[in-house]
Amino acid sequence: MAIQLTINGRKQTVEVDPATPLLWVLRDHLGMTGTKFGCGLAQCGACTVHVDQLAIRSCQFPLEAAAGKQITTIEGLSEDSSHPLQKVWIENNVAQCGYCQSGMLMAAAALLKKNPQPTDADIDTEVSNICRCGTYTRVRAAIHQAARLMNA
Amino acid sequence: MQQNRRDFLISAVSLGGNFVMGISEAGVAPEAEAAWDTDSANGTEFTPWIKISPDNIVTVRVATPDLGNGVVTQALMTITEELHCDWGKLRSEYAEPRRNYMEDDVYSKAVVRYDHGFFARSTEPKRMAILLQAGASARERLKEAAAQAWGVPRAEVEVSKSVLTHASTKRTLTYGQVAAKAGAVRLDAEPAPKPHQEWWFLGKANPSRMQQPLLVNGSAVFGIDVKVPGMVHAALMQSPVHGGRLKSYDFEKIRNMAGVIGIAVIDPAEIRPPIGLRRTPYPIESSAPQSGIAVVAEHYWQAKMALEALPVAWDDGPGTQWNTHEQIVDALSEAINKSDTSGKVLQSRGEALRMLESPQRPVEAVYHVPFAEHAHMEPLNGTALVTAQRVDVWHPSQQGQQAHIVAAQESGVPPENVHFHQTYVGGAFGRRTFGDDVRMVVAVAKKFPGRPVKVIWSREETMRQGRYRSIETARLRAELGPDGMPVALHVRAAGAPGFFPRYLHDGPLSAGLVEHVHVETRVVPIHVMTGPFRAPGYNSNAFFSEMFVDECAAAADMDPLDYRLKLYAKWPDPAWVKCLTEVSGKASWGSKLPKGWGRGIAIANYGMDGKPMAGSTVAAVVTVEIGPERQIRIDAVDIAVDPGRVCYRDGVTSQMEGGALFALNLALNEQLTVANGRIVEGNFHEYPMLRLSDAPRRISVHFGAVSGHSRMAWVGESPMAPVSAALGNAIYAATGERMRSTPFRLQS
Repeated sequence: MAIQLTINGRKQTVEVDPATPLLWVLRDHLGMTGTKFGCGLAQCGACTVHVDQLAIRSCQFPLEAAAGKQITTIEGLSEDSSHPLQKVWIENNVAQCGYCQSGMLMAAAALLKKNPQPTDADIDTEVSNICRCGTYTRVRAAIHQAARLMNA
Repeated sequence: MQQNRRDFLISAVSLGGNFVMGISEAGVAPEAEAAWDTDSANGTEFTPWIKISPDNIVTVRVATPDLGNGVVTQALMTITEELHCDWGKLRSEYAEPRRNYMEDDVYSKAVVRYDHGFFARSTEPKRMAILLQAGASARERLKEAAAQAWGVPRAEVEVSKSVLTHASTKRTLTYGQVAAKAGAVRLDAEPAPKPHQEWWFLGKANPSRMQQPLLVNGSAVFGIDVKVPGMVHAALMQSPVHGGRLKSYDFEKIRNMAGVIGIAVIDPAEIRPPIGLRRTPYPIESSAPQSGIAVVAEHYWQAKMALEALPVAWDDGPGTQWNTHEQIVDALSEAINKSDTSGKVLQSRGEALRMLESPQRPVEAVYHVPFAEHAHMEPLNGTALVTAQRVDVWHPSQQGQQAHIVAAQESGVPPENVHFHQTYVGGAFGRRTFGDDVRMVVAVAKKFPGRPVKVIWSREETMRQGRYRSIETARLRAELGPDGMPVALHVRAAGAPGFFPRYLHDGPLSAGLVEHVHVETRVVPIHVMTGPFRAPGYNSNAFFSEMFVDECAAAADMDPLDYRLKLYAKWPDPAWVKCLTEVSGKASWGSKLPKGWGRGIAIANYGMDGKPMAGSTVAAVVTVEIGPERQIRIDAVDIAVDPGRVCYRDGVTSQMEGGALFALNLALNEQLTVANGRIVEGNFHEYPMLRLSDAPRRISVHFGAVSGHSRMAWVGESPMAPVSAALGNAIYAATGERMRSTPFRLQS
């Protein structure tokens, strides 16, 4: 069955079993490997993408539910890594191994979109991704810094 | 060291090559990759470590995989110290294990420990010396080539930011412009790298890790992201009881499922060729194959669905004797309670056992830690293309030299025809060292010759087929002297096969501070597989030791900081007291805390191996709040570190922060249990991880106790025990109750 998706502003058609998680459609069928597989149970958040501006965990999000929706992946967060989060991430040396950071950034970007001045408690609630390397203190500081940049 | 450009060229055309880490690569097009020897239009190789291309890019070959610990950035910094590169014109690529094999261990032989050639830190002293020399020698060749071009003495040529300058005539050339000529220059004598007192870059510059730009836009290629033309996907399942065997399966039930191509059975009994005369970094047995089955399909999701639908029966083997987790815990208790001589004595000095028969001021405690899984965020995986003549493997290894040999042995293809391509690594923490994962990848792919197969472990498979931090139970007994300090110490520890005794016998107490010492270990034959885990042995044993020191302080009726200051003042490495003083000052030790709060302190050293002025010393203070329902909230962590010298400060800071969180999680949350011989926990809802909401708000790393000693020791492991022990000691300070087994959250 052909399903139409809009990914990072581009219309695409895929012929994939509609029950397939969006994660694997992105990674295996469309070759967009910036979105990561971490757990498969929507536990860790490595696969976070935006569907109509909401952060969702794509490993538990069937393709059919994404049909006709606007999907944004890490590849589309900005054209040239110019999103304030990406800039402060580099500047603050946030990532260690970096595997979870696509999802972390997408969760943080969705938060800033709906809440431009998040409190620590807002960050706790909205960015619940797992980072095994332990970058949390830098992630928190970088989100606050990006928020200041965006509101400046 | 001969630094003239190598006098021979390798004629083999390599499909291989490596990911150029400074450049985004969407996929791997083998034909686009260069051979390793590149005296060509692509650039000039000065040594196997350095290549300079006409567009003025300096490429550094790095043998140690960057696991997020900054080793690649550190290597570029070391080269820059002598070569004065423009930081923006530096690239790195991974050194090839195959070249190492074929060129007499060119990347590994000069490093202190053979297994560290493609492993561990960039600041290993001999590796530092090699890179500094390579940078200095390349610099002088570039200067000589420019001097010849200008007809001036070499001494008049200056270098800065990848540009050569003759100041008086205002002429300049880039490194790229003279590289081809410089590569052919023979110097009368190699230049000596400058002494560390004169370093201008190392210890001063503090760049972001050079991979950061690719990590924030999703373009870094991890093992799981590799794309090879014609690639198919495999989902893998190994015997749920470690050591069991596949009994039967019914492929017919899944043959017609979407995308299914076939299955691969991995049989440990299959004859694999012996490894030749060459050494492997780690024993080849540590990568032994496990009985398993994989479904191969066009796409991973299809393979996973088909594997779940595949009827499979296992012969579980002897592991099922452990019906319940309690049986294992009891067996360990029994092992430390037996007073026979069945164990191994690691240290025996003086009359410890006799003195502890009728002690006057005894302190005794039994500690326990469970099996723990590395839980790196990138599940185990790899991609291999096997043919009769040649093997290509793309893999997130932690030790490429080991992975290369394992791939050769598993495929039966000689190592010189095995091309190992190191990828980005999504966390490792010891799990990806021995190469058991790459073996399974090749074992699957070799059943589909000529077809690239990407094998992915699900999270559950990754977690249940680990090589865990061993379960361990230890009894520590001490006799305190009149001044409250321990005069006799008896340690008896028991764990699963392969558990690491580090720090039981070579921590400072056993290595010299206590006069009478007896340390013994017992192994309980549990079938669950173990392996190195961030700070092997230390993460359990130094943790026990520093919680025990706290119990000694309480028995002596002394403040935990004062007690340690007195105890460790006798250790002939003044940085211990300095670290304690630094961290306690910064954490305002002794200041008043609200009700229900507590502060704990601990200190340990990773890498000392019984010696002062070795390894990295870390002192930590953890501040906690215990809620009315006994919830543990960690408020802050303070760390003071002495690794000797610090080359890359933010690299060290990141490792301290990450290590602190790793240690906190290990102590608070982590536990694997066994039922019917199987590992129960399979995913993060059963094996919880700290998240932003319960991570400490503040982790402060203090450098005021850095000794300046000549070593630049490993750092990533060192917080593992002091932070977790300080947490245990903080909970005691807040509640008056000792936590002696982990995970703490289950006990509270």
